[in-house]
Amino acid sequence: MSAPAPPHYTSVPAWAREPVVEPVDHAGTSHSVLSVGPDGAAAAAHWLDALGCAGARVRHHDCADAAQAVDALETDLADALVGHRVLVAGSAQACLAVRAAAVRAGLSDAELRVAVTTVDERSVWCVHCHATNSAAAELEDVLACAGCGRTLLVYPHVSRRTGAHLGFMVDAEGPA
Amino acid sequence: MSTVHEARGVTHDRSRGHARTSPDLIATFPFPFPQTTYRYSTNVEPGRAAVSTPAGQWGEAVVDIDSEYHHELAERARILAVDPSRYAVLPHMHVAAWDAALDLMRELALTHPDQCDLTLLERGARPTYRWRNDLLGIDHTFVLGDTDTLPPEHPEPLGWIAAQVQEDIVLLDQRDGVLYGDAGVVTFAADWSFGFDVGMTFLEIHGPVPRLHAEGVITRAHEFLKRLEPGEVYRRTNWTLTVGRRLDVSTELYPEWGPDREWVQTLDDEDFGRLVHLRVEVQHLIRLPESGAVMFLIRTYLLPLADLAGVEHWRLRTAEVLRELPDDMAEYKGIAKYRHRTADWLLAH
Amino acid sequence: MSASLSLVVLDAVDAAPGVRSLSLADPSGATLPSYTPGSHVVVEIPAGEGRERPLANAYSLTGESLHPDRYSISVLHVPHSDGGHGGSAWMHTLGVGSQVQVLPPRSAFAPVRPASRHLLLGAGIGVTPLVSHLRSHARWGAPVEVLHLARPGQGAHLDDLVELGGDAVTLVHDRATWLTILRGRLRAQPMGTHLYTCGPAGFMDTVVAEATVAGWPAGRVHLEHFGIDALAPGEPFTVGVDGDVLDVPSGVSLLEALEEAGREIPSLCRQGVCGECRLKVGSATGLLHRDLYLTDDDKAAGDCVMACVSRAQPGADGRSHLEVLL
Ligand code: HEM
Ligand code: FES
Repeated sequence: MSAPAPPHYTSVPAWAREPVVEPVDHAGTSHSVLSVGPDGAAAAAHWLDALGCAGARVRHHDCADAAQAVDALETDLADALVGHRVLVAGSAQACLAVRAAAVRAGLSDAELRVAVTTVDERSVWCVHCHATNSAAAELEDVLACAGCGRTLLVYPHVSRRTGAHLGFMVDAEGPA
Repeated sequence: MSTVHEARGVTHDRSRGHARTSPDLIATFPFPFPQTTYRYSTNVEPGRAAVSTPAGQWGEAVVDIDSEYHHELAERARILAVDPSRYAVLPHMHVAAWDAALDLMRELALTHPDQCDLTLLERGARPTYRWRNDLLGIDHTFVLGDTDTLPPEHPEPLGWIAAQVQEDIVLLDQRDGVLYGDAGVVTFAADWSFGFDVGMTFLEIHGPVPRLHAEGVITRAHEFLKRLEPGEVYRRTNWTLTVGRRLDVSTELYPEWGPDREWVQTLDDEDFGRLVHLRVEVQHLIRLPESGAVMFLIRTYLLPLADLAGVEHWRLRTAEVLRELPDDMAEYKGIAKYRHRTADWLLAH
Repeated sequence: MSASLSLVVLDAVDAAPGVRSLSLADPSGATLPSYTPGSHVVVEIPAGEGRERPLANAYSLTGESLHPDRYSISVLHVPHSDGGHGGSAWMHTLGVGSQVQVLPPRSAFAPVRPASRHLLLGAGIGVTPLVSHLRSHARWGAPVEVLHLARPGQGAHLDDLVELGGDAVTLVHDRATWLTILRGRLRAQPMGTHLYTCGPAGFMDTVVAEATVAGWPAGRVHLEHFGIDALAPGEPFTVGVDGDVLDVPSGVSLLEALEEAGREIPSLCRQGVCGECRLKVGSATGLLHRDLYLTDDDKAAGDCVMACVSRAQPGADGRSHLEVLL
């Protein structure tokens, strides 16, 4: 395990800093398993085994990208009943995007489990031009905004509703 | 002053400072330093109590109207027109939005009975009210929960009331033992982005602030807020420095106002004293009855050093606090580059 | 500790066997503070007539929560043989014009506003907070479903349920039928539903157990415990300061007692959160901290208290005393 999170990373889930596989919640009575990309599919295989052994009702969606997973989730939730659980396997970026859709649909943290395969890529929302960038970046790295060209700091501040990190201009004040 | 404007290419002079500060802004300034040093604490106290200062007093009203009323409301309208993301009401917050509107109307009527009045015309499940605000020429009858009865230019209760008070408003929903910042109108943010933070928990919102978490300040505040009951009103103050009379120092506009932190260091003493402002937020915390939401009001006051120095106690105390402030806090507040010059300026004037 | 309201009984009716419904109003007819649906009030019941000490009973508010001209409560008489302490018996003696002291409404059972649907599960007198939820849901048009268990001919507020909830209300009179329906309904709620339950402890235990089996996460299940979460007035104790001994009666804080005696103690919140009123303790028979400020280590050390909320507790000799160092 890596060092404990700095105390001010309150909005960054631990799994967006370090890959982790959370266990199946067997208290659930039905489950949506969403896997994103080949690595996600591999990570979800353990869950599918565990759920299969338990004879649980499972809807599995093998998705090419996060957008497809969000669509699949929204379709499943439209007729899901309380007791349902959601499991997402893929990159932290994909898991954050699917969590955001789950939050918007009123799911609680207790109803979502993740298997994170990599934390290399992040979505970074530019607070100045409102473009969302997707880039390989660590927390507190900088990147050039695809929308406005400003150099953005990837702030350790993550939105529940979009899954993006806050990005703001790092050199706005001019000479230090 | 005009040379300063030209040098910075600034077109609207209000953001650069008043030529002369209206006396009521000094008399009602909520001076924020009870002690010679400043540290973060869960500094909440019951609201509605007047506090005397050497220049006058503040604190009796929850919703405060001063000589900047019309100007600040125009400024809010302008900002919202340019950037609608300063307003957000997540779908489940519509009850809280009505609650907030009613509560703020009651507060306005309480402190300005001659100009403002809220009359309950009809009780019941969907009460009918008449709201009068002579300051803005409003006289309107509406039905709780029925947006069709609101003025067409403000078809939503939170937007309507935000156009009538100088306070920024955040509404926090409480569920499963956690407070979520799920609605609000924030046009005068001091270096944060409401549009980004909306939907976050209280603890997540405070993530970027140094010291708070290690010292337990924010978890205590959370526990306190969760127990707040309807009718209880608490308040706290917060402060920083701002270059120019600029209310909107949101992260959104950082590229616009960030350079001021460098530029301010190049000013001569006279301009420095006019342009550097002590910025104080009086924040009220109120539990709303019908929704159970917590309403967080942020009222921003700006006073130039030149006026601050006119009050001996304020001059010395502010200098003392600024000198002693630990580096990490000065850095977070964005005043590291000019706080020592500010302290020196105060001591020399 | 908020100041109590002095109210008079405006209306008193026997609503069902053993249940008396009271309307409490301001003597001047003034509008009372609005409250959050699901709130309760705490009624102060004086000592005497077999009650050794004053009691404080919590009752859910059943009437209109917005700009109320009265607070409506329904009191089930709990006889001594069922563990009653004489409070509900006293409440049943109240008639029109009787005076009562009431702590302002407190909310500990609020509807979850983001819920896409609300499932209300009550039994017997546990109907009371659910009626106020139902009023609010009717006001705001929130989807709702009610399953209520009441003995035949014995339910209070059943007419309110039907009036407010219409077809969404199912009334059941026997437990076996109730359990069958409950199991079905728990498995048919759209994602986003929250459930609320109020009734006898055994009833609520069953609801929680059945919901858990049906896969409900704890965060979607809400119970009304009738807890009095307000800081209780506490027992009297004495405080020693610089050789003086002061009495701190029930309902008065250590901070207030010291201030009354002319001592200046810094304070801000008076709620045990800000840390301003911390006092050094020399010795104490026992300490009841109740604050949110001190760490567990501080509390274990026993050498400081927060004057606004903390109290002395009795020691081995039954005496409650505290020495503070100013
Ligand atoms: C008793 C309650 C509260 C306490 C003790 C508290 C404390 C603080 C402190 C000490 C700071 C740092 C300020 C500075 O150095 O300039 C801060 C920042 C902030 N507070 Fe609070 N606060 C409280 C309530 C709230 C509430 C209810 C909100 C609702 C949204 C809020 C939103 C913020 C935001 C957005 C920031 C800026 C964070 C950033 O840098 O992104 N606060 N607070
Ligand atoms: S006055 Fe705030 S802890 Fe006692």
